[in-house]
Parts: sequence; structure tokens; C-alpha cells
Amino acid sequence: MYNIDLQSRTPIYEQLYKKIIELILKKELMPNDKLPSVRELAKELGVNPNTVSKAFQLLERDKVIYSLAGRGSFVCNVNPDAVRDAAFADFDKAVAEALTAGVTKEELKERIEGA
Amino acid sequence: MIELKNVKMCFEDFNALDGVDLTIEAGTAFGLLGSNGAGKSTILRLLSGVYEATEGEVLIDGEPAYDNVAAKQKVFFINDETVQFGAMTLTDMRNYYKGFYPNFSDEIFDKLNAIIKLPEKKRIDKFSKGMKRQAIVITGLAACTDYLLLDEAFDGLDPTMRIIVKRMLVDAMLDRKLTVVISSHNLKEINELCDTAALLHQGKLLFNRDLDSVKGSIHKVQAAFNGDCTENDFEGLDVLHYERNQSITYLIIKGDEETIRTELEKKQPKVLDLIPLTLEEIFIYEMEGMGYDCNGLD
Repeated sequence: MYNIDLQSRTPIYEQLYKKIIELILKKELMPNDKLPSVRELAKELGVNPNTVSKAFQLLERDKVIYSLAGRGSFVCNVNPDAVRDAAFADFDKAVAEALTAGVTKEELKERIEGA
Repeated sequence: MIELKNVKMCFEDFNALDGVDLTIEAGTAFGLLGSNGAGKSTILRLLSGVYEATEGEVLIDGEPAYDNVAAKQKVFFINDETVQFGAMTLTDMRNYYKGFYPNFSDEIFDKLNAIIKLPEKKRIDKFSKGMKRQAIVITGLAACTDYLLLDEAFDGLDPTMRIIVKRMLVDAMLDRKLTVVISSHNLKEINELCDTAALLHQGKLLFNRDLDSVKGSIHKVQAAFNGDCTENDFEGLDVLHYERNQSITYLIIKGDEETIRTELEKKQPKVLDLIPLTLEEIFIYEMEGMGYDCNGLD
């Protein structure tokens, strides 16, 4: 579930940060779900625990997760608008790519109608 | 904390280290990268108190490392040399280290050996190379020191053993703020395990940085510009490498993506592709910049 690409050019903490947000948006992680501990995740991924901590700290800063002393980290109630925003961002990107590739606006509209 | 202050190490007519300054914070994992003979093992031997620096200071928690029992008891050095234990059995070796390291844990040793099942009564010089390595690795983990030095340590281990060692390191870093120093040619391992890494070349430190900030610090650019361009057209940028193949220009540029993109877009390129280098590529280009490259082999 927390698969990341250790060969990637993207720093490991950043991938983990994005991965957890992705899991929340896909509803694989629900509000108040408990996340694995830094220790569990570092062992599972075979990475430095400081790297996992760094990702968790950023997620906490951005109010994606919260932590309770001695109990662990939990998923926050993420604003549903954030989910919409993310969906639109993906959509806009796909549209831009399609237009560059020569697909017309009419063809895209037809596609949406058929969805 | 580990500190090296302007450390020089000379062997007769050879300068293994030529003025190295280095600080390694407690509870972090530090990677030493470098070509053969760059000085990686020399640094580890200085830290383990085996060598005395020709000049400068080598400190473990503020105390000199050389010939100092209190400092040496905090450090375990896992290296390739098990020669001195040739006539001993695994049990002899364990007892030897147990006598020296006050926090030595029989529990950890037994737990680890229950997994890998090394023979306890067999002479170590009858062990295979991989078994010798396993023996010293489990002893090093069981010694429960504050500092663990691994000299090319992962190279001789099989994948299962690597995972076991990594997991042990995670526990030790979290439970007792273990500091790990790893020397390796294997960038994959360094990338996965280390917070910071230093690149050594001919006894000098080329860089010493947070690995996350190293990534994304150098970019590979492929671009097509209108008209002719030469290397001199990119003076505002820190260009490490320039190559031109017909209309396509290949550049390796130091700096963050935005700065590079802004600068290059002033030239109104027809095509502009920018990707960050991998750690391995960064390593190769840094070394190339120092005149150490593989192009001489053509």
C-alpha cells in the first residue's frame, strides 16, 4: 500500500508525502484511521526512519495528519474541496496534453458527454 | 556526534586524507561515497581509533578517538578483516567482544543467529566469505554501540540478510539514537539509508550534503535553439557539461529547475526539456568535474 520507488529522482520523503495524500484522496485511508508508525514504515520500505519522520512532520504541518503523544499518527478530516481541486488539476493537465497532441475541443466534449 | 577537524593522514609518501572537515550528528545515517582510494576506509579507521591522524582532530562525542578506550567502546567497526579471528570459533569471537563492549547484548546476538544459523563451534577461518561477513555483522549489531561503522558492509550480504540488517538499524536508530556511517560504492544503498552523504576524491571532500537537497540540485537539459549557439552562450548558468548534436543541445546545469528554465527561456528555445539527475548521475558528473571519468576508455 505504501509502495514507493527507491530508484526515483524524487526524494523518498516527498514520495511518501504524496503517497499518503493519494491514499486519502482515494479513500483507502479514511479520517481518523491510524497510520503505521515511523518504525513500521521505515522497516517495511527499508529506509531511514528520519526520512519517514520528515514526511510525517510535513503532513502534520499541512494538516493532513495529526499525532497523539504515545498513540501514533492519524488521518485528519481532509477538506472535500481538496479532493475536487485535485480531480480538476488532473483533468486540466489531461486536457492540456490532449490539446497539444492535436485532439480537438469538440472531440473532448463528446468524450465527456459519453462519460 | 562525530567531528573531524582539518584531518590529514599521510602514509609515507601518500596523502590519504588532505584536510577533511566533517560533522556527523547523533541519530543520523551518513554515507561516504568515493572512488577507490578516495579515503573512505581511512576515515572509518580514524573513527574507530585504529589510526592516529597525522594532523587535525578526530572526536567522538568531543573525545579524541585514537587510543582512547572510552571512545572506542562507543564505536563498532564492521570491516572485511576477520583474519585476527581465524583460529577462533563464533563463540570465542562473541566472548572477546563481550569483554570489550559494556552494552553487548546476548539476546540480540542469539536472536540474529537464530535466523542465520552460523555454526558456533567451527573455526572462523573455515567459514565462507559470506559467513565471515555475517559473523562480524551480527556481532557488531549485538555490541549495541552508539556508533556503527560499516565499510562496504552491504556488499557481501545476501538480500535477506540486507533486509534484516536494515531493520535492525531502524530499531537501533529509533531506540538508542544509533549513528551509522556507511562507506559504499553502491548509491542505491546510500540513497535508501542515509540522511546525508559526502563525496570524497583523492583525500578531499567534494561535497557533504543532505541527500534530499542533492537530488534536484543538478539538471539535465535537452534543448533546440534558433540559430547557432556555443558553450559561451550560457555564461549566466553553472554548466557542468555541454554537448551539441546537430540541432539538439545537451547541457548538464547546476541549480534548481526554475532558475534554469527562466534563464534558458530567454533564448526562446523551440524545445526545452529539463529533468533532475539521479544520485548516480550527479556522482558521475561531480567526479568528471574532478578529472575522474570513464571517457578515457573509448
